Amino acid sequence: MEITEFQEKLLQKAMNAGFKEAEVYYEHAESFQCMIYDGEIDSYETSEDGGLSLRGLYNGKMGYSYTEKLDDDSIPFLIDSAKANADVLDEDDGTDIYEGSNEYDDHKFYSEELSNVHIPNKIELIRSIEEKIRAYDPRIVTLDYCLLQDFSGERSMANSKGLSLTEKKNGIIIFISTVVKDGEEMKTGSYINMTRDFSSLDADEIAKEAAEEALSHLGEKSIPSRKYPIIMRHDAAASLLAIFAPIFSAEKAQKDQSLLKGKVGMQVASNFFTLLNDPFHPDAMSGSNFDGEGVATKKQSIISNGTLETLLHNRKTAKLEGCETTGHAHKASYKSTLSIAAQNMYIAPGERTKVDLIASVTEGILITDLSGLHSGTNAISGDFSVEATGFHIKDGKIASPIKQMTIAGNFFDYMKDIEETCSDLHFLPDGYGSPSLLVKELSVTVD
Amino acid sequence: MIKQSIIEHVLEAALSTGGDFSELFIEDKYVNSMELQSGKIEKSISGRDFGIGIRIFSGLQSIYTYTNDISEEGLLLAAKRAALAIKGGVTGTVHPLQKETFNPIHKISQMPQTVEHARKAAIMRQANEIARNYDERIKQVGLRYLDEEQNILIANSEGKFVEDTRVYSRLSIQATASEGNELQTGFYGPGAHAGFEFMENLDLGHYAGEAARIAVTMLQADECPSGKFPVIIDNEFGGVIFHEACGHGLEATAVAKNNSVFANRIGEKVAPDIVTYIDDGTLPNEWGSLNIDDEGEKTRKNVLIENGILKGYLIDKFNARRMNAEPTGSSRRQSYRFNPTSRMTNTYIAPGTSTPEDIIASTEYGIYTKYMGGGQVNPATGDYNFAVAEAYIVKDGKIDRPVRGATLIGNGAKTLQLVDRVGNNLAHGAGMCGSLSGSLPVNVGQPMIRVSEITVGGTKGE
Repeated sequence: MEITEFQEKLLQKAMNAGFKEAEVYYEHAESFQCMIYDGEIDSYETSEDGGLSLRGLYNGKMGYSYTEKLDDDSIPFLIDSAKANADVLDEDDGTDIYEGSNEYDDHKFYSEELSNVHIPNKIELIRSIEEKIRAYDPRIVTLDYCLLQDFSGERSMANSKGLSLTEKKNGIIIFISTVVKDGEEMKTGSYINMTRDFSSLDADEIAKEAAEEALSHLGEKSIPSRKYPIIMRHDAAASLLAIFAPIFSAEKAQKDQSLLKGKVGMQVASNFFTLLNDPFHPDAMSGSNFDGEGVATKKQSIISNGTLETLLHNRKTAKLEGCETTGHAHKASYKSTLSIAAQNMYIAPGERTKVDLIASVTEGILITDLSGLHSGTNAISGDFSVEATGFHIKDGKIASPIKQMTIAGNFFDYMKDIEETCSDLHFLPDGYGSPSLLVKELSVTVD
Repeated sequence: MIKQSIIEHVLEAALSTGGDFSELFIEDKYVNSMELQSGKIEKSISGRDFGIGIRIFSGLQSIYTYTNDISEEGLLLAAKRAALAIKGGVTGTVHPLQKETFNPIHKISQMPQTVEHARKAAIMRQANEIARNYDERIKQVGLRYLDEEQNILIANSEGKFVEDTRVYSRLSIQATASEGNELQTGFYGPGAHAGFEFMENLDLGHYAGEAARIAVTMLQADECPSGKFPVIIDNEFGGVIFHEACGHGLEATAVAKNNSVFANRIGEKVAPDIVTYIDDGTLPNEWGSLNIDDEGEKTRKNVLIENGILKGYLIDKFNARRMNAEPTGSSRRQSYRFNPTSRMTNTYIAPGTSTPEDIIASTEYGIYTKYMGGGQVNPATGDYNFAVAEAYIVKDGKIDRPVRGATLIGNGAKTLQLVDRVGNNLAHGAGMCGSLSGSLPVNVGQPMIRVSEITVGGTKGE
């Protein structure tokens, strides 16, 4: 059955079954993935899949259901399940189905050029990267991941109020983890890059960066455990921001799950800290022209020179506070209920380069990677205590890599302790971005 | 779910270019999840996941494709598209499919799909009341209810044809306590490979009460000191330390390519005599249990380390080729979207002889971790980290004051050597484990153990 036909049929049947309003959301995706091990294709994957969800207002409450099996039998399953899910809710969701914004940006998240790259060319690229890394230095013993993945997808939303939106997206990701050994010392370094521009992927450059990242960690030394000034490299800073992003959700604040509750208009971070959300940023990959409810997205500032300007809202949280939605309703997939999330949230860059910043530090630590973020952080209390990889800075220079260590602090203090932002804004594949940051101090425990 | 003749055609099409083994994994899964916040059922969603994964081996190359187009044409197209990745080789043949049967170990008495939402919601409300009434400082309780019915069919070119139904139930409880400008949380997430009977028999007073107690206790906790200390790790979810510190390093995913400190060391002493480490997918109705793995192999009890000697690894069919070894019933995948690989099921340290009281009484100064959070390991180096949810200082053989913000770091192989006490109170805890083949239900378990020295990263800058 054609999807538009199925969507229309489902909407019609849902309305007949007693739904006052309804929305059908559909996703379809294709992907290719290849892993290389010692010159050979170790794994090769392709896929084509999708699914569809029903969201509808039934007796004043919002019911949800989804299926990956699209046939006539699925229609009663979707309708009956959505009704049962609406019935069990304790209160009405406070929202209805959205009739649509006046205007939508038509930003492109899909590269025709990328979609025309043939599989053998992609395999050749990743194979060549692996070969170059293995040949780069005798201390490189192996690669425990050498992966290329590309994806393309389409999503569409149609509802009983006449709104109909579609969007296409694609991208390619390279992920490499290099294992290096010198005597008894063994280290790994990872490299990740996501782009829509296949021609920007240069095997020599990628191999060099991936190899150097791993090699740089050899020769580790221990330093005393205490508080140190910290330079968070852009990628480590962005990963910490991503983990604590729920503190900016109005939904969390309304449920006493964010300490930013009631802080709009107040100073919550240092003057150097400006936090932006830009669905259309050219270097970032998690943008979209419409949010999970169909609301048009836009660029906006969340924190401006330390002052909290707004939290992230969807239509439900905005209604509760009597404000406008900020277009941050998030539907992770057809399998999810609505939540709130940013689209390309990043810390605004400053003037100086990272090298200049390091040169200005008498003694401190450069952090290049954080590990255990999903367990060592608490977005409710703001506390974090996580494993870190990094380097000792002495007299403005990198002195040596540091043995296994943890850094600990509280994210709400951390935002206030940012003393400078560098010029090197960098985005992670999940759309969170940051430049390298100078942080006043954090507790460091070294093995 | 699909006609046997179609399955045979697809298995044949997959071998048309020189593959030597082909397999189909068909999944039809029903999911219900509900969330309670602020005392109200706020979210509820039901769905059906449905799709097919086709896997082909050609020597040491593994090809995987998945789709949810289950028409015969769709499946043949997917199989042929995957087969295109293979160029030459010894073409395998498809043996006639022989339906295998087995006696299910994990009995399900109430299929969750047959239970109305209201009864599920009632369990959540009850847990909410218990946690809220625990202490006036409990300001928020979040509950997540999940049930799944996963119907699978596995068929391969060796003639295997086997079906199973797996049922999962889990209740996750998060309590938030607040005082002044401070918020602290406590979490407990019991789960089982069982039906709604698991929810009805669940000791909510214990689980919801503990989530609330942890949150309130952490409000009064000091910041954890940093340094190297003896660490006593309590039973149940405490086993996450060995899940991270050595379990992942014993998976064929890491061992087959020598990316593990435990590779090529069978028969060697890797731990003190008191350490025996087991992965057992047959424990009745445990969260990580299965009747058959995701390649259709029966699960079993795999002794990995016995009295300190490395005895075995967790091996899937593909890595078995590289390792020249037999699969161990350990191949798992989150769904048809994942190429399966070797994973843990219910992994635990076997009980020893020390009593928990003796272990604490014999510790002059150290850290006692009552509940652990999650963790992470770098399998290549064995370096791990994990978070502590509830910890105390132990002083002069007694549990002293609670501390918070502790993270334990170290190297798995080294930490294993430093285990100096193993208690007699084995228990298991439910968790989710993320790795190459997706996020999977696993149990981690152990009795109380003591490690003579672990680096503790705390927030107290001293």
